Amino acid sequence: MCEAKVRAGESAGRGVRTQWRLLPLRIDDAFTSMAVDESLLKLNAEGKSPNTIRFWRWLPSTVSLGCFQNVEREVDLEVAKKYGFDVVRRITGGGAVFHDHDGELTYSVICKQDDVPDEIIESYELICGGLVLGFERLGLQAEFKPVNDVLVNGKKISGSAQTRRWGSVLQHGTVLVAPDIRRMFELLKVSPEKISDKFIASVYERVTTVERELGKKPSFEEVREAMSRGFERSLGVKLSEGGLTSEELELAAKIKLKYASDEWLRKR
Amino acid sequence: MSGCAHWSDDGLKSAEFKAPNGLIRIDLELDGDIISSISITGDFFMYPEDSLEQLEDTLVGAKADRASLLARVEDFYSSTGIQTPMMCPEHWVEAIMCAIGG
Repeated sequence: MCEAKVRAGESAGRGVRTQWRLLPLRIDDAFTSMAVDESLLKLNAEGKSPNTIRFWRWLPSTVSLGCFQNVEREVDLEVAKKYGFDVVRRITGGGAVFHDHDGELTYSVICKQDDVPDEIIESYELICGGLVLGFERLGLQAEFKPVNDVLVNGKKISGSAQTRRWGSVLQHGTVLVAPDIRRMFELLKVSPEKISDKFIASVYERVTTVERELGKKPSFEEVREAMSRGFERSLGVKLSEGGLTSEELELAAKIKLKYASDEWLRKR
Repeated sequence: MSGCAHWSDDGLKSAEFKAPNGLIRIDLELDGDIISSISITGDFFMYPEDSLEQLEDTLVGAKADRASLLARVEDFYSSTGIQTPMMCPEHWVEAIMCAIGG
């Protein structure tokens, strides 16, 4: 946190803020989204893509799996198929997550490793600090909870995962705007006795959403705007709107084949 | 240490161990007191991610006792420089010992 303050302070003190790119809100299938993230990470490492922040949504709704998880043990593939939802393995660690098309805004931050602290938890704190400030702009009092969560009223409202490859960092994560929690438990393999009203009530004690905390559901653009301004402040950078380059899109199209493959899904 | 569940099925010894920042699932086979195969899965974090396969390779051939395992895992941490936030060599050893006991 000290380092985060120094970084932001230094930049502000000089009056010149480094520019990062902000991409327009995209709505893609899971395999495309994962591939765009990896393409940006790889090209950023090669010096061909600038540091970038993007916000995106999942169509169809998807269950993503941490890179060390076993799909059969975590996801009810029959239920996913029944609803027409995708299932994808991430390149980041952590647990299985249900990404609701109508209820989640997802963000990605891609930057040089030198632009965030080396220490993993400190780097999460710096990037999640942007979300904390974003939630505040929406009128919510938020806090970072190590390793990688953001809480509002003591309940999780955002979870993130990070990977570092080739000298660059990718951190992506959820902003729970108004997801369908009950649907989540149909898809994730939680023992049947747990999916009781009592268990669901206990989840509502631990997880919350922007809609629940604000009493209304803001638009995805409103949330994106708030989070973008939050990231500018926490990272001490200026975001300027830009699009994906043809090189980024071409590499993403190639990488997409990996994410859509059965071999990748069943890697562990 | 936190909670651990273990079971055994046709020579495959398994355990789920709740570490501070994630669940570690172990599936291993023993040849006498030597680990002959091991698979590690779960919702933890490890940087860089490719290290997990190397960790599994390091553990194959290890003697299935706490001291030998800890020495191997500690050596793996120092030689590779991997980072596992809030988790340390002892947690992997605890998960493996739990599976061996199952």
